[in-house]
Amino acid sequence: MLAWSTVRERWTGFVGSFVALTLGVGVLTTALVVFVSAQPAVPERLAGAAVVVQSPAGGEDAEAYVEYVPWSAARAEELAASLRAIDGVAAAVPDRSFYAQLVRDGRPVGDPPAGDPIGHGWSTAALAPYALVDGAAPAAADEVALDAAYGLAPGATAAVLTAIGPREMRVSGTVDGPGIYVSDASARALAPGVRAIGLVLSPGAAPATVAAAARTVVGAAGAVVAGDARTALEPEAVTRVRWLGTQLLTVMIVLAAFATVFVMASTAALNAYQRRRELALLRAIGATPRQTRRLLLGEALAVGVVSAAAGALLGVLAAPLLGDLLVRAELEPAGFAPRPSLLAVGPAVVTGVLVAVAGAWVAARRAARVRPLEALREAAVDKHVMTRPRWVFGVLFGLAGLALAVGTAADDGDSAMTMAIFSALTLIVGCTLLAPVLIPPALRALTYPLRRSATGEVVRESAGAAIRRTAATAGPILLTVGFATLILGMVKTMSPAFGSEDARALGVDAVVTASGTPGLSDAAVAALPGDVLSGLSTQVFVAGAPVDALGVVPGAVPVRGDAGALTGDTAVVADPRWRAGDTLLLTFADGEAVPLRVAASVEPGTLTTPLLLPRDLVRAHDPSALTMTAYVRGAPPAAMTGDPGVLAQDPAAYAANDDEDALVWLFVLVMVGMSVGYTSIAVANTLVMATGDRRRDFRVLRLSGATNRQILRMVGTETALVVLFGTAFGALVALPALLGIRSSLAELTGSAVRLVLPWPELAVVVAACTGLALGAALLATRRTLHRAQPR
Amino acid sequence: MTTGTRLAEAVTLREVRRTYGAGDAAVTALAGVSVGFRSGSFTAVMGPSGSGKSTLLHCAAGLDRPTAGTVTIGGTDLGGLSEHRLTTLRRDLVGFVFQEFNLVSALTAAQNVALPLRLAGRRPAPADVAAALAAVGLAERGGHRPSELSGGQQQRVAIARALVTGPAVVFADEPTGALDLRSSRQVLGLLRAAVHEQDQTVVMVTHDPLAAAYADRVLFLADGLLVDELTGPGTPGDAGFAAEVAARMARLEA
Repeated sequence: MLAWSTVRERWTGFVGSFVALTLGVGVLTTALVVFVSAQPAVPERLAGAAVVVQSPAGGEDAEAYVEYVPWSAARAEELAASLRAIDGVAAAVPDRSFYAQLVRDGRPVGDPPAGDPIGHGWSTAALAPYALVDGAAPAAADEVALDAAYGLAPGATAAVLTAIGPREMRVSGTVDGPGIYVSDASARALAPGVRAIGLVLSPGAAPATVAAAARTVVGAAGAVVAGDARTALEPEAVTRVRWLGTQLLTVMIVLAAFATVFVMASTAALNAYQRRRELALLRAIGATPRQTRRLLLGEALAVGVVSAAAGALLGVLAAPLLGDLLVRAELEPAGFAPRPSLLAVGPAVVTGVLVAVAGAWVAARRAARVRPLEALREAAVDKHVMTRPRWVFGVLFGLAGLALAVGTAADDGDSAMTMAIFSALTLIVGCTLLAPVLIPPALRALTYPLRRSATGEVVRESAGAAIRRTAATAGPILLTVGFATLILGMVKTMSPAFGSEDARALGVDAVVTASGTPGLSDAAVAALPGDVLSGLSTQVFVAGAPVDALGVVPGAVPVRGDAGALTGDTAVVADPRWRAGDTLLLTFADGEAVPLRVAASVEPGTLTTPLLLPRDLVRAHDPSALTMTAYVRGAPPAAMTGDPGVLAQDPAAYAANDDEDALVWLFVLVMVGMSVGYTSIAVANTLVMATGDRRRDFRVLRLSGATNRQILRMVGTETALVVLFGTAFGALVALPALLGIRSSLAELTGSAVRLVLPWPELAVVVAACTGLALGAALLATRRTLHRAQPR
Repeated sequence: MTTGTRLAEAVTLREVRRTYGAGDAAVTALAGVSVGFRSGSFTAVMGPSGSGKSTLLHCAAGLDRPTAGTVTIGGTDLGGLSEHRLTTLRRDLVGFVFQEFNLVSALTAAQNVALPLRLAGRRPAPADVAAALAAVGLAERGGHRPSELSGGQQQRVAIARALVTGPAVVFADEPTGALDLRSSRQVLGLLRAAVHEQDQTVVMVTHDPLAAAYADRVLFLADGLLVDELTGPGTPGDAGFAAEVAARMARLEA
C-alpha cells in the first residue's frame, strides 16, 4: 500500500523512470519483434510446390553462405523427367530465374535485387501457384505474361529489360502474382542452369511419401526438401540482406538494453539518495531495514510493470515503422512485415520489469541501511560516494574496456565491430563508476577560468560537493556522446576504406553504376562514350567451391592488375591456390563445366575478384550476368545522361555518394538520434529531480543577496560544466575503440586508414545534449525559485 | 504497547558517554550522563548549542548507540540489540515527534497515524485512528495530505502518530522549533495533556524557555554533562517558571 501511495503521490519523481523505462522497453520490443519476425521463409513463388529438389550444395562463398552448384539444362530435364514418373507427382518444373525488369516511360520499374531476379519461365507460375487473370500464357519468343499489378493489358507492348538490353515484347496475359514470365523455351535460353525443381503433387498425395521417393530418384545429384525445410530455398540475396538487418538489430537491442539498465540504475540510486530523509523517518518510527527495502522494491515493481506494459504497446505499434525503414534501407528483404509474437514481447516486458527491480535493488540495499538518525541531520556534502565495490568494478570495467580495444586492433575479421562496441560500452560503465573520482580534478581544470568570480566559486564548489548529482547528470551525456562518437566515427572510418580505391587507381573520368536496376545491361555499357573499362560479374564453381569471376575484354579491365595474358580460353587468377599453367575445371551458372588454362597469376589484392575470364565466355555461359560498375576514360559524366538506368559520377562524387553507404548512414543516424532522445530523458529527469532538492540552497543564496538572474546563471554554468565533463569523457571512451578499428582495418586492407570523425553530426549531438540539459535545469530552477521566495 | 507491570522509570540512562570520531578529531557529546525518566512525567531537556542535548535524546531513544554506558527502555537494555530488534522495540515502545519532516508526504494524515501499527503488521481499526486524530483536534482532517496541512497541524498529526501505539515514552526533538506562538501552545498543550490525562511519558528537547515551562521537570545540559535541574509548579506555561528557566539558561550560555 505504502509503495503504491508513494508512487501515486511522488509521481513527478517517478515520471522520469517511467518515461525512460517505457521508451527502453518500447525500443527493445520493436527491435525484438522485428528480430524475431526476420526468420527465413519459404519463397512465396515456390509455396505451391510441396516438395522441392535442390541442386547439390557447393562450398561456402567469401561471406560464408552456402552456394548451390546448378544443374545443366540437359541434366535438369533428365531429372525432371524421372521425377515426373513418381506416383503422386502432378508436375515437375525446373525453376528458371533470370534478370528481367519492366521499363515504362523509359524508366526501369522496381529494383529487383541481383540475387533474386523476377524473370521466370511460364511453367514456374504453377509452383506458387499464380494463375492467369486475363489473356493467355506466353508461347511465342516475343510474348510475355506480366504481374497484373503493372497495369498492362493483354495485347499491349511492354519494354522488358534483360542482361542483354531492352526488348519490345507483346503482353499475352496478366498474372495474379509478381514476376515477368516468358515462354519456357525463351526461359531456357535466358537461364539455362537450374538450381531447383519444384514438384506439384496430385490431390491426396502425401508430401513425405513423395519426398522419400524423390530421394531415391535423385540420389547424390541433389537434395530433397519438403514442408518447413523448404526455407532453405530462400535466395541467398534475401538471406544476406536479412543477416545485415539482424546485425544492426542486434546492435540496437544491445544498446537499448544497456541504456535502459544504465539510466534506470542511476535514476534509482539518485531517487533513494534524495529520499534518505523520508526513509530515515520511516526507520525512526519503526520500519525495519527489510520493510524499507521492500518499500523501494515495491515502488520499482509498480513503476516497472506499468511502464513495461506501456513500452510493449508502444513497441508493437512502432515495429512496422522500423520494419519499413529496414526494407527501405535494404536491410530486410522486400515484403518483410514484422509480426508481434509472445516470443518477442515477452522478453522485452520481463527485461523491463527486471531492470526496474534490479536497478532499485542495489539502491534499496543501501537505503535500508540508512540510520534513522539521518532524518534529523542535514547532509550538505556528499561523503563516502566511492565505496569499495565501486572502486573495484570501476577499475575492472576500465581495464576490460581497454583490453577489448586492444583486441579490436588485433582482430582482422567480422568481430572487430562487435568488440569495438563492447569496448566502448565497458569503458562507459567504468568511467561512470569512477566518475566521483574523476569529477573533482576535471572540474578544477574546467573551472580554472572562473576562479575569480563569486558565482564561479559557488558553481565550482557546489558541482564538486554534490558529486552524486554531477555524476548522475554527466553519466547519460557520457553515454550518448561516447556512443555517438563511436558509431559515427566507426561507420565513417570504415566506408572510405571499402570505397572507390579502384576508381582512383585507374585514373578514370567517370564511374558508371546502375540506378534503379541491379546492374548495367550490355546495351547500357555499349552506349557509354569514351574508353569503357568494365566486366561481367558472375560466379563459377571450382571443385564445388564458389569463386567470384569477372568477364573482361583484355585491355579494358576495370581492376588493377595485368590481364594482358588473357586470351579466348584462359583465365588470369589472383588466388594463391592456383598457378600459371594449371588447368581449372569451372562450372558456370548454366551448369556446364569448362576446362580453362591459367594464363597468368597475379598478386592477390591487385584484382578485386580472384578470377578474370574472357568476357564472351562468361556471356555464353551466364546470359543473366550484369555489369556492376563501368569506368570511363575520356568522357565526363555529363556525356552519359542518356540512359535512365545509368548513374554517371566523377570518381570523387562516386566515393562520397555511395548509395548503400547513404542508407546505412541514415540508419545509424536514426540509432544515434534514438539514443540522444533516450539520454535527454535521463538528463532532464536527473536535473529536475536534483533541482527540486536544492530549494533550501537557493533560498540561502537569495537571502545572501543573489538575484534570481544570478542563481539562474549559476545553475546554467554548472550544467554547462557537467555537459562539458560528460562530452570530454564521452569522446575519450570512444577513442580506444576507434583506434582499434583503425588498426584492424589497416591490417585488413594493407594500407593506412585515416580516422574520420563526422564533426557536424557530433556537434549536433553535443548541442542537443547541452540544450536539453540547460533547458531542463533552468526550467526546474525557475520553478523552484518561484516556490522558494525568501520569507 | 502497554506492559502489564508499570515500571517506575520508563527510560533509564546510566553513565552514558558518546564520542564522535577518533583520535585528535574526537568530539565528546556526552561525557557520562545518568538520568531516569519516570513514567507519567513530562521532562524538558535544555542546554546551549553543542551541550549534547540532542545526543542525549538520540541515545535515550535508541536512535544512536552510546559509546559507553547503558540505556534501558521499558525494562529492556538496548545494548547488544540487533538493528532489527532495536527497530521493533522502537516501534513498540517509543513515539517520536521531530522538528520538521515528521510525516510521509505520500500518505494522508490518517494513513500517517496508522503507519507505525501497519509497520508492526497490525491492522488498525479506523475508529482508533479517528480517535487519535480527534484527540489532537484534527478529526476532520484525516483525508488530507501533509502538503494540505499547516505546520502546526502537521505537528499535531505527528503527536497523534506518536501516541497511537501507546508507547512507553514519547521523544520530542524541538517540536515547536518551526512553529508560530499559537501553534506552539497547542502542540505543547497536547503533549502535556498526554502526560497528565493519559499517563504518558514525554521527553522533550528544546531551547525555548517558554516551551520548557510546560514540563514538570527541566534538565540543563552543558558540555555533555547534566549540570542543573528545576521542578515546575504544575501549571502549564507558568510565566514565573519560564523566567526562572530563562535565567538558568542565560547563566549557562554566559
